[in-house]
Amino acid sequence: MFGDLAALTGRALRKWIRNPAAVLPGLFTAVFYLALFGNSFNPTSLIPSNIGGFQLTTAELEQIRVSILSQTFGGAATYISYLTAGIISLILVFNMAFGGIDLVLDRQLGFLNTLLTAPISRASIYFSGVAQNMVKAMTLALLTFLIAVVLPNGLILGRGFGVLDFLGAMGAFALLAFALSCVFTALALSVKSIDSLVAIVNFATFPLVFTSTALFPEGGFPSWLLSISNVNPITKATDAARLLMVNGILSSAQLTTFAWDGVYLLVFAVAMALLGYLAANRALSPK
Amino acid sequence: MPEKLVRKVTAVIQAENLSKLYPPRTRAVEGVSFKVDEGEVFGFLGPNGAGKTTTIKMLTTLASITSGEAKVAGYDVKRESSSVRKSIGVVPQELTADDELKGIENLILSARLHHVPRSESTKKAQDLLKLFDLEEAAQRRVRTYSGGMRRRLQMAMGLVHSPKVMFLDEPTLGLDIQTRTKVWDYIRRLNKERGLTVFMTTHYLEEADGLCDRIAIIDHGVIKVSDTPSHLKEKIGGDVLTIGLSDGEDLTQFFNSVPDVSDVSREGQVYKMKIPRTERALPTIIEGVTKRGLKITEISFTKPTLDEVFLEVTGRTMREEEGVQESWIQNVNLERAT
Repeated sequence: MFGDLAALTGRALRKWIRNPAAVLPGLFTAVFYLALFGNSFNPTSLIPSNIGGFQLTTAELEQIRVSILSQTFGGAATYISYLTAGIISLILVFNMAFGGIDLVLDRQLGFLNTLLTAPISRASIYFSGVAQNMVKAMTLALLTFLIAVVLPNGLILGRGFGVLDFLGAMGAFALLAFALSCVFTALALSVKSIDSLVAIVNFATFPLVFTSTALFPEGGFPSWLLSISNVNPITKATDAARLLMVNGILSSAQLTTFAWDGVYLLVFAVAMALLGYLAANRALSPK
Repeated sequence: MPEKLVRKVTAVIQAENLSKLYPPRTRAVEGVSFKVDEGEVFGFLGPNGAGKTTTIKMLTTLASITSGEAKVAGYDVKRESSSVRKSIGVVPQELTADDELKGIENLILSARLHHVPRSESTKKAQDLLKLFDLEEAAQRRVRTYSGGMRRRLQMAMGLVHSPKVMFLDEPTLGLDIQTRTKVWDYIRRLNKERGLTVFMTTHYLEEADGLCDRIAIIDHGVIKVSDTPSHLKEKIGGDVLTIGLSDGEDLTQFFNSVPDVSDVSREGQVYKMKIPRTERALPTIIEGVTKRGLKITEISFTKPTLDEVFLEVTGRTMREEEGVQESWIQNVNLERAT
């Protein structure tokens, strides 16, 4: 099975590398969100300097800004520092969701039937879909992280942020990417047309993102939204990675939060892998 | 129970009462039975929507069998699908070679997916590229290939693991006549030189006539007739012989007395008659005419075509079928394709 998996994943990645147009939109999205959205929609720049006739000094304004960032935005040095983890999650979600288009095309162009008449396991078809989307999305995640770091007024990493923190953050993103890839690969193998896939994906992705803490802190969420956000895997991955990126060295309480988020993501990923496999197996069985 | 990989095979493909029902009520194939022997080229002929592709899909494990039994290369299609897939090569109607990969990359990918050892796959790929005259295009991406080159590459991909049986679904669909002729040559060579058993569907009658050892005509999911092309043509009455004679006695009685001659008609001194095989009866006819002191002024014969067989079996010509498609058939095909 691993030979089949490697052959199929290699094919998809070879095509991806040869087609820069497939990589660039993801990077543009990252740059636009970080450079434009991150700068234009900076909540801390919205604090008025005159409140009810009371004129705040620059020092007072800065103190309020720092307080908002530390209390509401998890201690991030800037809004972009808070936003970066969310943008990476956002890029993962959209790449996973639309990554299935290649699989639907494989079905429509007859390549899937060629695979189904070859002596390979159905599992290798499914897991190669998962693997190719994972590699593509994690490459974009890594590049987004690098763009955020080098961008002027970009990501300011927490003090002491090291290799292990980087691996921890990427690990959280990888678990999210794997789980989402399992879901969307099974979906792509089950639908018959690109239109159907796009309709379902559009319906699913926006609620997934906007019920998470990817773009906004949960402090402003109404209680019903908070309940959803607390079980949303995007929240778990974003919060876990953000904790490391913003704080660098974690306190024991923060470490515990990170560990629980990791366990949650791991369980979620395993569950999605199993459910996705069952759904894909059903979709690939002879009708 | 583990599937055995080596078995003695007599009939390479055997289908018994094979049926396929697409819910809720579309019966695509209805109780078809046939046998294909080793080294045979077997043609499945019929209009679009007749059940050809569905039959191939069942035999190649792509579609489930609603009822009946089928064996391919000695393996039960329902219970030993994995072994069936190891034994077959499939060239579908669609051109499935990857546009973004080079010709040789497509072949090596196909070899890997059929578990050809890495040490052999490149050599096999190169051999096949040579066989199909694609050597010069091997390092080019498939998106630069012409339709004929893609079709040849597709056939090479189906052969890279040296299958026992090759399934060709409309192998020359959409190709110009020159390329089509070339593809026929490849099929003949593969069959003769490698002893490959070929199961092919087509709705080109001349293709079936020229390539196939035996033909089955399927219509509305049912096999109407199955035999060699020449026997099928003989069955509809054989050749039509036209013979013109110098003035003299009426030879109608004589012609009727020649074995296998039927439907003798006379217009002046020109006689027309049906003969299963003109080549066999002609010496007797010429001898009889000469003995009676008459001279032959003209002689010609026309052989029946598969188009006439098709007309007799289905009640319509293949050209009518190609021109007009009922919308429900198209819908069914689209559904099956997806």
